[in-house]
Parts: sequence; structure tokens; C-alpha cells
Amino acid sequence: MKVAYIFATSRHTVSYVLGKMILPQLEENRHGVDVAGMFFFEDNNYVLVKGNPIGARLHAVAKKKGILLMGCDQCCYEREIADILFEGVPIGCFPDLYKALSGNMPDQVITL
Amino acid sequence: MTAACREACCSATPRFTVAELFERGFRRNRATPFNIEGGAINDAEGNTARFSLALNQSKLSELRFRVSSCTTLIAYCEALAELLHGRDAGLAAQFTPRELVAALPGVPALKQSRAVLAVAALRAALVAAQTNSTAHQGGVT
Repeated sequence: MKVAYIFATSRHTVSYVLGKMILPQLEENRHGVDVAGMFFFEDNNYVLVKGNPIGARLHAVAKKKGILLMGCDQCCYEREIADILFEGVPIGCFPDLYKALSGNMPDQVITL
Repeated sequence: MTAACREACCSATPRFTVAELFERGFRRNRATPFNIEGGAINDAEGNTARFSLALNQSKLSELRFRVSSCTTLIAYCEALAELLHGRDAGLAAQFTPRELVAALPGVPALKQSRAVLAVAALRAALVAAQTNSTAHQGGVT
């Protein structure tokens, strides 16, 4: 099965669910499914800023496994971080996300 | 440089950032177009942009636009509308996409092509204004 994650809430979503569950599992090849992409809303986008330690690991594993990472464009502009994300990580809105995933469609979209 | 700082450090409002231009542009994007309207310009990604304008003598007294709901594109169009307000139409036609990109930092390279679309749409409206003016002077039959 192939999934895509949408990080929509800003609780422990990135530091805990991504940083302590999903990311280690991906790094250890035991997540159980393939991940087609991850899309980030609101403050969750800070993980995509160059230098973020969780983001650096995520960026590396995404590059290795061909996982799309994308930040919400309005969220990034609002936080003035759109031009300081990790190399090759785009910003966009739903049309950009759907287009980017169209060549690697997930079976399930998980909103966290 | 003698221009006033437009950054948050100087509590300047309205700020000239993508986020704030988008907020203002979102409202302008819904305003009724003026009579002088350029043709719609499209890009390869399916975005479209169309400017309309009001002239006072040869000055741009106001610009409006109708564009796709792309944050970057709306911000660039709003930036044009604010930067060129009150400018001579002939001088406005010389404004380039490169200048627009430089005027609005913070846009990632992948999205900067929206500036080309915004400027092309503006120029189409300026051509329409020129055609309109020539027609009123009896230059076009």
C-alpha cells in the first residue's frame, strides 16, 4: 500500500508523530507502507526550513526513497520561510500537490 | 538609499510581503474590472491573468486584475498594482519581470515565473489602453 501524509494539525504532529514514529520507521525500513508524499500546513512547515534537525533527517530519507515533500505556499509565505526550505522542497497548493502526486498516486491519504 | 524602510522593524504598514500582498490582492482580484481591460494571458501551468486599468491623463490612477487563485501570482499582481499606481502608463510598460522579482523578495525560484505572467498581463492592458486612446483620437477606424 502507498500512503500520503497531510500534516494539518499543530500539536505534537511533527515533533512526536513524525519525528518519533514515522521518521525513525522510514529510516529503518519498517514503516509498513510506501510513502508517496507529505504535505505540511501551518507551523508544521518549520520542519522544512534548512537546518531543522528533524527536517534534515526527513529530507535525507525522502531523497533516498523518492518521497515528495511539499509545504503549503500560503503558510510558508505567511511565516516568511518560503525561500529558505531544504533544497528541492517546493511550496504549493492543492493543484500543485495533486499534480506532483499524479505520477505516484497514494492509495490512502492520512491527515494528521 | 533614501526610501523609508518597509519592514516590520519600522512598524511599516501595509507591509510589502508576499503574505500581505496576497491578502490585499485577494480582495482586489474580486473587484469589478475597469473598462480598459487587456486580454487574458495564460502560462504553461494553467494559470491565467488579466489586468484592467483606469487612466487619469496618461497616469495609471488604478489597476485591477482577475487571476487564477495562485498565491504567488496574486501577490505579484498586487505588487504591480501598488508599485505602478500613479505612474505614467508609458513608463509602466517598461517595468520588467526581473524588476518585479527583485521588488518582492521571499519567493522561491520555482515560483518566480509567475512574475512573467503578471507583467505580460499588465502589458496587455496597457496595449488595450493605448489602442483605446488611439481609437478615441480617430486613429483607428
